[in-house]
Amino acid sequence: MKAVTAFSVKIDVEDAVADLKSQLSTCEPVMVLFFASPAYQPDRIAAAMADAFPAAVTFGCTTAGEIVTGRMLAQSVVALALDSSSVRSVRVEVIQNLDAPSYDAFAAFERHFNTPMADMDPARYVGLLLVDGLCRKEELIVDRIGDLTNVNFIGGSAGDDLRFSATHVYANGTSHAHAAVVALLEPVVPFSFLKTQSFTPLPPRLTVTRANEAEREVVEFNHKPAVVAYAEALGVAVDEAAAHFLSNPVGLVFEDEPYVRSPQRIKDGSMVFYCAIKEGMELSLLQSTDIIADTRMALAAARAEYGEISAIINFNCILRTLELRQKGLTEQYGNIFAGVPSIGFSTYGEQFIGHLNQTATMLLLY
Amino acid sequence: MAGQVKRMIDSIIEQRAKGNKVLEGVVKMKLILKGIDPKNFDSASPDDLTVIGKLHDLMNEMK
Repeated sequence: MKAVTAFSVKIDVEDAVADLKSQLSTCEPVMVLFFASPAYQPDRIAAAMADAFPAAVTFGCTTAGEIVTGRMLAQSVVALALDSSSVRSVRVEVIQNLDAPSYDAFAAFERHFNTPMADMDPARYVGLLLVDGLCRKEELIVDRIGDLTNVNFIGGSAGDDLRFSATHVYANGTSHAHAAVVALLEPVVPFSFLKTQSFTPLPPRLTVTRANEAEREVVEFNHKPAVVAYAEALGVAVDEAAAHFLSNPVGLVFEDEPYVRSPQRIKDGSMVFYCAIKEGMELSLLQSTDIIADTRMALAAARAEYGEISAIINFNCILRTLELRQKGLTEQYGNIFAGVPSIGFSTYGEQFIGHLNQTATMLLLY
Repeated sequence: MAGQVKRMIDSIIEQRAKGNKVLEGVVKMKLILKGIDPKNFDSASPDDLTVIGKLHDLMNEMK
């Protein structure tokens, strides 16, 4: 297979895209996936990428930091080009207006691949999902996609460099706000998924006894005000609870694998999370571990199971990136992917089976 | 009446995973994220109409 990555830190959109085009000139891509700092004007970069690669499907989104083969970047644009020896066919669609989304995109996939979504083989097809990172609708979208098909969709929520004002997704020359881009690929090569989070479950259990799901708010755990129960589980005073949010989120644990739900803030006695949590869910308190060691181990396990990796698309939570930046570990994290064509970005949420927090979800091509 | 939720969950897992163990895990996790944890239901579990409605919708999706 042929996978080529490129990045540019040129400030002007046209210069940056020309830079990418030059670096990707060894590839005749059928698709170009790109992740761009919001410093690049969204409409212009979407159009310029489509113009630069007229024979390819182009899609992507804004970021809160970019990742490219061996490096973590900021204020840049990164791109991955895949040719026909990597991807047999690809179709990109936009889900507009996430307040009342239509899933016509999936009818378009069915027409393009001439197969009902419900019958598509998840070993043959893979989906990519890029969502407006400020929409707070990711769980609904992922849940709906999961109902429609067994094909796995993996992805991330677009960022905007922690401004929290507007994120954008790109598809075939156009930028969209309050929208999601879905792409369905039929790779030529084998592929797998990697979900890694650096947390280990602790014994305390927190059962959601009252929640405001639409607001991603847990009102009560174990029939107590959420923050009181959380602090008790941690063994700390209530006024110290928020200081533990990053290192002690909570998670749904299934087959020893945590699906992390990260607290954002305290609202009266409630806890507001970065994803919705349903009443009745039993959550485990989590303890943070080592992102570098855990990511390295997860990639090694994938290599041991499937063989040498030819390309990686990495959706890495902004909270992980902030921790890496704070600890001066961004170079070490980038080095984990050195030698493998890879792109990614720091996300406002990660998607794989569900909507996740403080996780990296990756598509690995072999 | 009891046990219908368990029967519907088993049917959905069978219908969607078709014996594929990896897919079975994915389907179970999707159900957990919907707030329906398969391990919480057995043949004696009461027939909760809300849960049955959700499962019925899901079964229809894959027909």
